[in-house]
Amino acid sequence: MEKELRDQAAKLLEEGTVDYIVGFASGTLKHTTTPLITGDKDETSSLVINPFISNNLATYALEISGRLGIVAKGCDSRSIVSLIQDKQITRQDIVILGIPCSGLIDLKKVEKLAGKERDEIDEVVVVADKVVITVGSEKQEVPAAAVLFDHCIGCELQIPQEYDFLIQGPAVEIRNSEASREKIKELKQMSPDQRWSYWKQQFNRCIRCYACRQVCPACFCERCFVEESQPRWVSPVSQWQDNLIFQAIRAIHVAGRCTDCGECERVCPVDIPLRSLSKEMYDLVGEMFNYKSGMNAGAPPLMTAYELTEVESLIR
Amino acid sequence: MITKKVSKKDIRKLLGTWNQECNVIVPSRVDGVVGMAAWDNQDISFLDWYRNTVIPPKSCFLPKSEVMMSFKKNENGYNLEVPTNEHWQVIFGVRPCDARANAIIDHVFAVTYDDYYYISKRRNTLLVGLSCTNPYDSCFCTSSNIDPTESEYVDLMFTDIGDDFVIEDFTGGGKALLNMSNTLKKVTKADIDKIKEVKAASVSKIKKTVDTENADRKLGSLFNDTDYWERISAKCISCGICTFLCPTCFCFDINDEMIRKQGARYRGWDSCSFRSYTRMPMENPREEKWRRVRQRVCHKFEFFPMNLGINACVGCGRCIRSCPVNWDITQVIAGLPAEAGIKSGK
Amino acid sequence: MKPKKEDQPRIVGFLCKWCSYAGADLAGTSRKKYPSNLTVLKVPCSGRIDPLFVLKGLRLGFDGVLVSGCHPGDCHYQTGNYRARRRIAVTKKFLEYLGIPEQRVQASWVSASEGTKFAQVVEDVVENVRAIGPSNLFNDEGK
Repeated sequence: MEKELRDQAAKLLEEGTVDYIVGFASGTLKHTTTPLITGDKDETSSLVINPFISNNLATYALEISGRLGIVAKGCDSRSIVSLIQDKQITRQDIVILGIPCSGLIDLKKVEKLAGKERDEIDEVVVVADKVVITVGSEKQEVPAAAVLFDHCIGCELQIPQEYDFLIQGPAVEIRNSEASREKIKELKQMSPDQRWSYWKQQFNRCIRCYACRQVCPACFCERCFVEESQPRWVSPVSQWQDNLIFQAIRAIHVAGRCTDCGECERVCPVDIPLRSLSKEMYDLVGEMFNYKSGMNAGAPPLMTAYELTEVESLIR
Repeated sequence: MITKKVSKKDIRKLLGTWNQECNVIVPSRVDGVVGMAAWDNQDISFLDWYRNTVIPPKSCFLPKSEVMMSFKKNENGYNLEVPTNEHWQVIFGVRPCDARANAIIDHVFAVTYDDYYYISKRRNTLLVGLSCTNPYDSCFCTSSNIDPTESEYVDLMFTDIGDDFVIEDFTGGGKALLNMSNTLKKVTKADIDKIKEVKAASVSKIKKTVDTENADRKLGSLFNDTDYWERISAKCISCGICTFLCPTCFCFDINDEMIRKQGARYRGWDSCSFRSYTRMPMENPREEKWRRVRQRVCHKFEFFPMNLGINACVGCGRCIRSCPVNWDITQVIAGLPAEAGIKSGK
Repeated sequence: MKPKKEDQPRIVGFLCKWCSYAGADLAGTSRKKYPSNLTVLKVPCSGRIDPLFVLKGLRLGFDGVLVSGCHPGDCHYQTGNYRARRRIAVTKKFLEYLGIPEQRVQASWVSASEGTKFAQVVEDVVENVRAIGPSNLFNDEGK
């Protein structure tokens, strides 16, 4: 897969079809990757495809001017489509290098299983639907579903629908949409009071670094409401009340744009289970409006469209 | 001076003794996140798992949010109340990198300016250092001339030599802490030899290195190279993780909150990575991302050396570990183009 | 003005200028009686109501929020209330999931000629919210 991707990327740059390639390269730490943004065809030889390519590169499509060749997994391709729907980018400016995806590895789950931290784990290798974790001389084989991200277990698009080039490769299906909603189900079994206390506790430790917002391709506002000062909607200083409002409103604002790529939760430095918010919203709009974000570039965005009669039962 | 040691099984007793006189703060996992938190007078399991905190110990003096004063409307005007910090605290388990970082922040809040809120917490605090014997792959303290087992910025320094911690004391406060306890033993010649072994082993575990020599001059000559900074900053997503988790970053924002005639003035962390940074007086002079990235790098490696003769990066590696896009400062420093007339490296 | 005891619960209402606000006006001019617990904020269209307004209302200590606009099909701007409807639906459901009791966030369609309906809506909302007690959602000490 990598060879085909590198060749294709180099060709695109050489022919001048794109100005930049946005893909993944190996990271500087064990089991990590880093976004590679380059206009140099020689650098395309460092492009990689592995189960650690977590970033949703659609984010960069908003920022970098010029024609881009973007490496996109299924979820990323949906984010790109969603941005096209919202007229944030134009299809002609983007060359989508689609890659099939069998799911990404959640290092936090691996750490838990291995009882070691990321840098103490020597190897994490995917073999079909199994993952082998090596620590020193000890090898542990676990089902892939046990160490993939929750959102990967619930993945609805392993092979991009929208692409210009599709890199050939396997996409092992490991779907368990029930397991992917495990945390949400637990929350729903609680009373409203308990749920509120739960979120209160979670957002107490939010440091308001805005990494969740910054990695999110759906968060493309020029100016976020948290930065408004006239009027001041929420305090810029971390307090659980305002942290919670920020995140709740963010989830509502990206309703119909969130493609459940799970990046918000992955990047949170204080491990707030943000996907338990975004995924619930994702499912809500699915149930209420039969809407799946980023699946159809021609469809109007969720919040700009309407049916003559819908959800009337919620209104007096 | 190294005179005493304490058996690992007596650590609970030792902390317990201190906890009677002051608040003991230890590395804790709160909701899965490692930070410094009040000790429960019982649990010392952190001795087994603790490597370093996610939230740096600066948060003990400059918390992510704190009340500067609270106010309430009454008939005559407003009642103002300023919080006081009179209780003593001992922070146990500070790593040498973070201890140096605290000393660097002291310059900002306690040397060049007397910040009441910072000082009132800092001066009532004793730091107990803990040698770093199991660093992360992202740690590069040795490149900032820090020995992971030594610190001059703590009151006491504990080093793990197997069954015991050898204790080095540096200050009167540290000595006082030692005098409070009767669980200490005398160090032997063998212990001293063991320390040397541990120290050498710990230093060799730091695998990540970067040559910071002349970084300030190189950065100075690169300052106006827009292309360079645009390339370097391309993948940065402008979040605040690196600055908030940096033990030497100290920017803050102040905000008044009032709901129904009462409220408070809060202070909390702010970050030069944000586009909205310093918008309150007028606007952010660093509107473009590359300027903000340049600011962070230059602040650590050019401006601080210029003003205080010391790099403001202690090599704790938090910004690398937690970065959503693996933006690695060591790569940037190592990749600085050599300036004409400066010999690179040693 | 100090909130009086009988003003509990406190409700904030975002009413569209063309229908619901006029409906409230009509309720007043035709001397319909309805509880005085409602603080009215006029918005140009229900489509203007950002979910943020709802949470901000609760954050400021209101016990309940009412959003109200023109009946479907009657929007002064043709489609504003259709868009509002999706947003309100999502907001209501999502806030419920967070743990905010559904009674605290309510929506209605009230036209300019429905003074009676407006009075009834306010009465119902106030009663609903009173039944679940004052909101401690954003209190530090509260739940």
